[in-house]
Amino acid sequence: MKKKLIFIFLFPLIFFGQENFPINGVKQTAQATHAFINVNIYLNYNEKIEDATLIIKNDKILDVGKNIKIPAESIIHDLTNFTICPSFIDIFTDYGQSNEIKNEKTIGSWNEALNIEYNAVNNFYINNNEAKGFINSGFGLVNSLKRDGIIRGTSTLVSLTYEKPNTSIFLSKSALCMSFNKGSSPQSYPNSLMGSIALLRQAYYDLDWYENGSTGHDNSLEAFSQNKNLPKIFEVSDYQSIFRANEIGEEFDDNYIIKTSGDEYQRIKELKNINRKLIVPLNFPNIDLPNDPYENLETSVKQLKHWESAPFNASILSENNIQIAFTTFGQSPTDFFNNLKTAISCGLSQKSALKALTYNPAKFLKVYNQVGSIAKGKKANFIIFSGDLFSKDFLIYENWINGKKHEINNKNIVKLLGNHSLFVDEKEIGDIQFNLANKKLVGKFSGDSLEKRFLTNIELVGDRISFSQKNNLYSGIFESDIFGEMRDSLSDWRNWRLVKNNRKTQSVKSPGIKQKDSVEILFPNMAYGLKEQPKRESLLFKNATVWTNESRGIIQNCDVAIERGKIIAVGKKIKKSIFRNSKDVRVIDASGKHITSGIIDEHSHIAISKGVNEGTQAITSEVRIGDVINANDINIYRQLAGGVTVAQLLHGSANPIGGQSAIIKLRWGQSAEKLKFLKSKPFIKFALGENVKQSNWGGRHKTRFPQTRMGVEQIMYDAFSRAKEYEYNIKNYKKNKTLKPRKDLELDALVEILNKKRFITCHSYVQSEINMLINLAEAFDFKVNTFTHVLEGYKVADKLKKHGASASTFSDWWAYKYEVNDAIPHNASILNKMGVNTAINSDDAEMGRRLNQEAAKMVKYGNTSQEDAWKMITLNPAKMLQIDKYVGSLRKNKDADIVVWSDNPLSIYSIVEATYVDGRCYFSVPKDKEHRTYIREERNRILNKLMNKN
Amino acid sequence: MLKLIFFITFSYSIFSQEKIIEDTDRYILVGGFAHIGNGEVIENSTIIIEGEKIVAIGPSDLVIVNKERGKTYDLSGKHIYPSFILPNTTLGLVEIDAVRATRDERETGDLNPNVRSQIAYNTESIVSSTVRTNGILIVQITPRGGLISGTSSLMKLDGWNWEDATYLKDDGIHLNWPELHDFHYHGHSHVFTASDNSVENEEKEDVLKSLSILSSLFNEAKKYSKIKNKHIDLRLQSLQDLFNGNKTLYIHVNGANGIKESVLFAKKNNVKKIVLVGASESWRVTDFISSNNIPVILGRLHSLPNYTEDDIDQPYKTPKILQESGILFCLDYSGDMPRMGSRNLPFLAGTAAAYGLNKEEALQLITLNTAKILGIDNRTGSLETGKEANLFISTGDALDMISHNVEMLFLMGKKVSLDNHQTKLYKKFSDKFDIK
Repeated sequence: MKKKLIFIFLFPLIFFGQENFPINGVKQTAQATHAFINVNIYLNYNEKIEDATLIIKNDKILDVGKNIKIPAESIIHDLTNFTICPSFIDIFTDYGQSNEIKNEKTIGSWNEALNIEYNAVNNFYINNNEAKGFINSGFGLVNSLKRDGIIRGTSTLVSLTYEKPNTSIFLSKSALCMSFNKGSSPQSYPNSLMGSIALLRQAYYDLDWYENGSTGHDNSLEAFSQNKNLPKIFEVSDYQSIFRANEIGEEFDDNYIIKTSGDEYQRIKELKNINRKLIVPLNFPNIDLPNDPYENLETSVKQLKHWESAPFNASILSENNIQIAFTTFGQSPTDFFNNLKTAISCGLSQKSALKALTYNPAKFLKVYNQVGSIAKGKKANFIIFSGDLFSKDFLIYENWINGKKHEINNKNIVKLLGNHSLFVDEKEIGDIQFNLANKKLVGKFSGDSLEKRFLTNIELVGDRISFSQKNNLYSGIFESDIFGEMRDSLSDWRNWRLVKNNRKTQSVKSPGIKQKDSVEILFPNMAYGLKEQPKRESLLFKNATVWTNESRGIIQNCDVAIERGKIIAVGKKIKKSIFRNSKDVRVIDASGKHITSGIIDEHSHIAISKGVNEGTQAITSEVRIGDVINANDINIYRQLAGGVTVAQLLHGSANPIGGQSAIIKLRWGQSAEKLKFLKSKPFIKFALGENVKQSNWGGRHKTRFPQTRMGVEQIMYDAFSRAKEYEYNIKNYKKNKTLKPRKDLELDALVEILNKKRFITCHSYVQSEINMLINLAEAFDFKVNTFTHVLEGYKVADKLKKHGASASTFSDWWAYKYEVNDAIPHNASILNKMGVNTAINSDDAEMGRRLNQEAAKMVKYGNTSQEDAWKMITLNPAKMLQIDKYVGSLRKNKDADIVVWSDNPLSIYSIVEATYVDGRCYFSVPKDKEHRTYIREERNRILNKLMNKN
Repeated sequence: MLKLIFFITFSYSIFSQEKIIEDTDRYILVGGFAHIGNGEVIENSTIIIEGEKIVAIGPSDLVIVNKERGKTYDLSGKHIYPSFILPNTTLGLVEIDAVRATRDERETGDLNPNVRSQIAYNTESIVSSTVRTNGILIVQITPRGGLISGTSSLMKLDGWNWEDATYLKDDGIHLNWPELHDFHYHGHSHVFTASDNSVENEEKEDVLKSLSILSSLFNEAKKYSKIKNKHIDLRLQSLQDLFNGNKTLYIHVNGANGIKESVLFAKKNNVKKIVLVGASESWRVTDFISSNNIPVILGRLHSLPNYTEDDIDQPYKTPKILQESGILFCLDYSGDMPRMGSRNLPFLAGTAAAYGLNKEEALQLITLNTAKILGIDNRTGSLETGKEANLFISTGDALDMISHNVEMLFLMGKKVSLDNHQTKLYKKFSDKFDIK
């Protein structure tokens, strides 16, 4: 007897797999077979069958379909009026990850933001409260990750349960997680977005180096190596960073799944092109509108437009066939589903919504073979609900996870929903209408004798119901009908019964109806954004005063012709016939106007996202401004209105060797990538003097080398020496049979300088340091392309000339630091007269829109001719940026970057009337007027909408 | 450190007193295009300077001149302007921003009405001399910081010592009105460690606390004169002149609400003379300002708009709006690079002219209007008989960079040198390289 018993129990144990926990009491097993019949089933997001059967055994689906055989041992669930769909999956949560657990840095990466060896599974715990929120909302699986660091280690995919964590781990390492946010790392590097990008790229190269036999043990790189083939989840904070992450993915052949912030509708075309999987939140922005109209000026058109447009994000993404998975991250699951309803009313189909909660997340994490749909052999993860999916009436009753039932609502609610006749003592006394309001059951009584009343205290316990209506107390049970006893206000006991009315009652407004309004998206989606890119025009400007910047000088009564983005002729009496297509030519009378080529700002810090300086280390040549261009900076538009068409975006001056520059054309409304001046050559920022030796950073900054100009020379000398050595090793490691050198992004940039493939723009002030760098460069046989600021350049103008460096300076700034005490406003004039290629720059978003006035000061200080002064902000900077082949003067075949001025462009009274980049009119006075009207109207419209909503 | 101090004082000593000593106190300026400063012009003018004053000015064919005594200049083709007046500046209080030892503009603490700029004014400032060269001769030296930063004085940009350089002692007290929105200039940002530079807003609590501090101070100040046998309180004592009109209360404020609140606050506290300073949002509340008759020192026009959706030329065209509303206003150059940049004051007026004012109206914003607002229009601010001979000769239109070029400068009837630290370096190195 004893033996037999043991045998019986042992057999299924082997079948189920063993556990190593002691059991309290008698072992319970879940080995039942359940059959769910007469039910509508979403087999997957795309396929729905009516009146079907689902059979599960243990944690698996045994069968599903119509007319299938039900095993005899099945427990039958009749689900007439119910629907089944796969349980939802959220692959971006921090469920069960404690913030208190600090990352323990092991022998690994030098940088704590590279927390690659972290495994979320190691610290996972079950948080009953959070689990309940997910389970009650229909989730079966969530992916748990720790949002800390640039590489955050692996996430773990868990089944939702209130039991032991051991049983809940579905996939111990589900993805490798990344971001641009260094998180809790106490180290200073990186302190800019471009620094984060550089650090991440270097980590990939280090992985390659590690895998190819680097000596030494490194837990971080070991983990990276082990986990590199996992799916990768990359969290970004705005849509521009989607493209930044994608660039890295392309470089290292990684197809990131990108967790977005919900604003990605703003660049949908480009997003469609990169075709990445996205994890999308639905936490729409809230705006607390102050009552005071002056205070609410702080609520920008950008915020207002995003407030209005954000609910359309998901539908826009899915219309463009972008694969998305939803995440509840950042809000409660309940709020998530409320917002999902809104998203559906904004055009998202139920099908797409279900796909984003089942199929896509399962596919993204490569677990669709087990979850994400209802099919034979898959996990028994599904929910039982009534009403239309995600509609107002959508109510979940049970969530089955791994074959285990979680009851959420009483299934008898379904029997109540709708209209019933209420009989008391077999006499019909009125109707009761039961509805769902915010997932709560409400009942409304209407009868002849009594006024309309809502039922109160509706309570369902199992198959029992009680409620009160006026002063009458009802108690009843569910069978085929619903009936029971009631005690009326006179304390009399009577019988009652509800009989369902089949007639359709008042037609409830069906949710899922598309809202009438759609949203208008601007590029960028803010004040002065464009509805579309301006057309490339064929234009013939007649009779202007034309500042050619060529040997022809300034020509009166001159014409300028542009076509297909290029200048096709400059001269007197140009005929329309010179255009390839003379029909489309628009002739503009420009008499009294001045026409020039566009202004080029050689030194600008506009349009840069999250940090102009990676000011943490003395050498940061690995960082690239090109990675962090912010196409949404209003200063792009404002500077167009000042006649600027090209700008060099420079790293700041916090360190001797700063970051790589980006040269952009001010193509307002384009994406960051399309702002880049693609034909330009690579540049890099260097800096000397007080900033790099941290003279004015405050008392705490006294330890970073260098603290003197003496140290600056040495750190540069050392850097270039190392770069030479590095280059030698790369070229000769095979011959010398040594290990392949680690690719070093920092030294790569310096090697480019040594090989005259990258060019230096060096922030400098006093003559000693200028002289020093000239000497240093000559010792390494390269040329300093440009000294910028170069306020004492006039003292060493002869040396600059001899070295062949250009000078880019302010017109009249000085006295803000000790090192600018000998700065003089005549600097540019002297340099120019000495034959140094000289430019005036802004270094300032405000001054950037008045560079014509700054150049004009050279006429005042040092008697530079007007023509030469004008070249200081056009042709000369074009030369120093090595783009003078394309821009900088008005000559046939150069880019049609031109500006129309009301007056002599050097005069304070001159106003820009139109600015063209590549023959497209990005700014004009009439267009600007239209913007202003639009902004006022749009602001008003959305404010009113917002106020009505609140 | 000692070395540093030595170097600075040494280099300054070269540029002490810049008046040119000539053996006359009478100048006759003939044939110049005179911009009077009150909106009028005399195309062919004759001006006679005697002692400190203009004793005659008019069209050349109407002014009877005795050319025997004094020095005559033929100024045909040249322009004559009243010297510019720069309000709300820290010239002479700070020499080099980054060198703490050279900064004397900001006392510690919230309430310093009694702190006086006059006695800290450095007549040897090498920055001031470059400002003077562009035609600015009278400046309002204004302390910074706290809720009440101190008492300003009007100074001449030339003098042996601060007493000598004083033009009007202790003209007003400067109040920095606490505002929720930080309207500070955010164009130039050389941050070494930072993320996005968004506009920072003050906490509402801090603003309310500051308002309550101000309110208590003024309540005490109003009763101060009534206290018998009192201990001396320098702060309260210095505020008394606000109630009798001997000093002006300059309220530094930008936002529309702040402008209204602060003016009502000052009026409620019996302040007799009120001037708004900064006031970048003044164009939104012109009715309030004009109906209360409050003059405005408008902050630097060459600024970015306060809000992204503002008209991109809003700061440039604000003067036109204020002018049309009949508000008395003038221009300052506070903000980033405030001292070294202030020599560009005339070009702010030029911008006002480019955006709607006529050139003579624009000129008033840096001459007569400023004099009126600072209470010195009986002495200076325009080229009128009986006023001080504070004026300069320019080669061309002084509001435009390409033509502004000061050839001669008179301060209270005396010619002042146009040389400065920078012109000397320019000459030195032009000579070295033999360039013209």
